[in-house]
Amino acid sequence: MPEIKTEQFFAASAAAMKNPKLRRALDRVGSGFDVARISAIDEVTPEVWEQWRQQGRDIKVHTIEHLDYYLDLLYTNVTAAGGQLHFANDASQANEIVAHIARTRNVKVATKSKSMVSEELELNPVLEAIGVEVWETDLGEYIIQLAKETPSHLVAPALHKSKEDVAELFTEKLGIPYDEDIFHMAATARTVLRDKFMEADLGISGANFVVAETGTLVIITNEGNGRLCTSAPRIHIGITGMEKVIPSMQDLAVFLRLLPRSATGQRITSYVSMITGPRRSDDEDGPEEFHLVLVDNGRSRMLADPALREALNCIRCGACLNICPVYQRIGGHAYGWVYPGPIGAVVSPMLIGLKQAKELPQASSLCGACREVCPVKIDIPRMLLDLRHKSAESPDKSQRSAKAAERTVARLYAMLMSSPRLLRLAVRCGRFLQKAERFIPFFSPLSKDGKWIKNAPLPPLSKWTRSRDLPTLPKQTFHEVWQKELSRDDS
Amino acid sequence: MTTPETNETLGVPKAEFLQSVRQALGREDVPPAEPYPRLTETQAELEDQAAQIRRRLEENLPALLDKLAEMAALGGWKVHRASGVEEAIGYIESVARESGATNIVRSAQDVFDQVPVDAALTNLGLKVTTVLRDEANTREALREEIRQAGIGITGADYALAETGSLIILPRRGLSRLVSLVPPVHIALVRPEEVLESLDDLFLLRRLEYHQRGGEMGSYLNFITGPSRTADIEMTIVEGVHGPKEVHMVILG
Repeated sequence: MPEIKTEQFFAASAAAMKNPKLRRALDRVGSGFDVARISAIDEVTPEVWEQWRQQGRDIKVHTIEHLDYYLDLLYTNVTAAGGQLHFANDASQANEIVAHIARTRNVKVATKSKSMVSEELELNPVLEAIGVEVWETDLGEYIIQLAKETPSHLVAPALHKSKEDVAELFTEKLGIPYDEDIFHMAATARTVLRDKFMEADLGISGANFVVAETGTLVIITNEGNGRLCTSAPRIHIGITGMEKVIPSMQDLAVFLRLLPRSATGQRITSYVSMITGPRRSDDEDGPEEFHLVLVDNGRSRMLADPALREALNCIRCGACLNICPVYQRIGGHAYGWVYPGPIGAVVSPMLIGLKQAKELPQASSLCGACREVCPVKIDIPRMLLDLRHKSAESPDKSQRSAKAAERTVARLYAMLMSSPRLLRLAVRCGRFLQKAERFIPFFSPLSKDGKWIKNAPLPPLSKWTRSRDLPTLPKQTFHEVWQKELSRDDS
Repeated sequence: MTTPETNETLGVPKAEFLQSVRQALGREDVPPAEPYPRLTETQAELEDQAAQIRRRLEENLPALLDKLAEMAALGGWKVHRASGVEEAIGYIESVARESGATNIVRSAQDVFDQVPVDAALTNLGLKVTTVLRDEANTREALREEIRQAGIGITGADYALAETGSLIILPRRGLSRLVSLVPPVHIALVRPEEVLESLDDLFLLRRLEYHQRGGEMGSYLNFITGPSRTADIEMTIVEGVHGPKEVHMVILG
């Protein structure tokens, strides 16, 4: 599995906020993806959109509740179509399956279309170690492979890179003259990768859906690299999570309406490819072998927890990233593992362990925007709260997010808030301190207009104001205003 | 070449994997508690639904052709509605001339009996290759022809009005690569190939799957407009790995 950096979340997010280049890139996400999503949904009525979302959700819920049944049905039908379905409990097992196929079939060159699961498994180094040349062929994935980086978005993996970054990268890695024209750079990738597609022995793809009834793998793409990866080489391996299965081909219709609109604001993508087994004997072209690898890799933990099971409904559109005020400010890398954004803050702790990723569920204002845009109505804020609860209440000390000091503060706060006399006293003390502050030379914890506390001098407030501002106490509290107004009315 | 071993068991045996899934679900019974309505439909029921679809399509054909043309254009196709065979061929000739292509590949589908493009294009001095394997034309030789080609021409298995998509089912005579590798793709669509919605398409495919005893071919492709990417600074670039220019010629 790729390096887990979720524990560095606070430092990484603080650094990301200070990076102006990343800020510009993230602004494009909001103005690009989310605006497109809204206008695509506006084309259908809100009632119809709502009906599609409910339909999509119902199909997912049903399938996940009967996952064992549908996986069995899928197995039968993949096999009947002449393909092979392999199950893997974890990343190393999945990688070994692919490596075994590559070794026994004498594979020298592999081309890959975009697959987040293969990022999760960190498959490429395993293949490279046995001497297979691996080429990422989605333009964004190709860029980050050259840069030796990881994706920063579910749909647009290289969005953190500017065109100048990519031009420099191409100059350095491909030895071509610097040219920051985006069209020229795309053409360069086309030329380089075209030869690789034709040369490759093995094509590796992910899957957006797999249809149990027919044993069909479905990929939804725009560039055409997915079609090439699944058409040109002599072997095709599809790799995906076990939750991607849907019952019938007819269930696809609603997902083809939901996913492109939510992901990129398209009515439908340039390509949707549905692959059922290897090429038939009289087909003109296509792979001789078709393998499907389904991975658990922590998903059964999600399945076993009724509170978090619905995270398995996710179709990886990325809409919750694009709308999230936290993602929009810190980008994908700060989350420290493969899956960023609100859904990543639920999925990552479940896949790599809450102990290591306990900061991620905190990275949300719980504003609920992610829940509103989710095409399958996943209640992400509810699950973030559940994870916060689990982490605060964990019997394992190292996993517990709430420290003894925090608990004491919470208890004091509760005391204060439940006693009007204490609260009045505290407000008076606070106001006194706020006034007294003006007489301390060279240091002011307040903003210039006096409305915000920016650097509180003492804990626990100093901890709070490290990354946020706190409103100052007003001249009159609501209680005081109320009482004054009330007495005026009485007179 | 290594002969692939058949039915190897790699990874976890199925029974063991399913058992762990079942355990996570906290359930001991194997089948779904409530059968999924769709999967229990009989072939007769599917045939009945298909007949209804066909009737609806016939009744609404002119409107559906308009909708197809509109949605295909929105999806990035250059749409040309040809009133007759000659006009269709004329349009294909003009695309060929403008593209500067010297080599053209086409699939072997029966639409080309109706619209004989070969003679017209050969008269323009272009080399036209039909991608159909035989003793002289091996897979490798045909693949090389496709790589050299400036234009690929195919028919349609279906065309979807809802999304403006061309649907093809690659098989004998219909290569996966003819509509993908050349920089220009021209698709010929006949009125009888038009469907209204995604639901129509998937119902008909399911029916065929069952009619053919659980077989419906290895591949199905939706094509909607040119190949695209927005991976650098969200700027849309057309023609990244697939065709940059796609034409839909609607016969009617």
